Amino acid sequence: MKNASSEKKEEHIHTGLPETSLAGTFVSVLILAAFMLLAWSGVFLLFLSRN
Amino acid sequence: MHIHRYEKLWLIIGSIILLIFLTILAIQTFFLEMGPPSHAETIDPQSVRDSEIFADAELKEIGENEYEIAIIAEMFAFQPGDLEIPAGSTVHFILSSPDVTHGFKITDTNVNVMVVPGHISKVSHTFDEPGEYLILCNEYCGAGHEYMANTITVN
Repeated sequence: MKNASSEKKEEHIHTGLPETSLAGTFVSVLILAAFMLLAWSGVFLLFLSRN
Repeated sequence: MHIHRYEKLWLIIGSIILLIFLTILAIQTFFLEMGPPSHAETIDPQSVRDSEIFADAELKEIGENEYEIAIIAEMFAFQPGDLEIPAGSTVHFILSSPDVTHGFKITDTNVNVMVVPGHISKVSHTFDEPGEYLILCNEYCGAGHEYMANTITVN
């Protein structure tokens, strides 16, 4: 038992924190990106139409 | 350093978006002359009304379909008054204020300038569509702020 736990500890040191799923974060970032693109394009088109 | 696969992806996407925005702005500013109006010229606010540029200013034709007008934005009017120009004309506006900060906004166009006392602002616009364009002061300048309005008639 003692050996197993020390092995686990070593593994942790090697890989850092366990890999987390960032799928939700990724989707949120893409939604934010889409909003920024839409807002920017909207203002840009408005500028061009008034020029 | 370990970066998550998704993190790499959104950093790349973000950088590409930023690059697109900046490229479009750079092309507009440096090749299409669509940069924001900028002009650094100062004038003593007290001498605006008597100055060579602004005293008795009227619409001047300086080229084919090209006009120039010096306008004083003051409490609470734009001098000279309403303008009339043919469609397709480019008008170069030269603006200054003898009192407080005013705004110079022509509706349905991108002309929107802050007229700061002590400075001469310049902005140009080509009026392709016939119609009546409203000029408004959009910087609160005092009790008669809402009376500051003129029209440009494009025939």
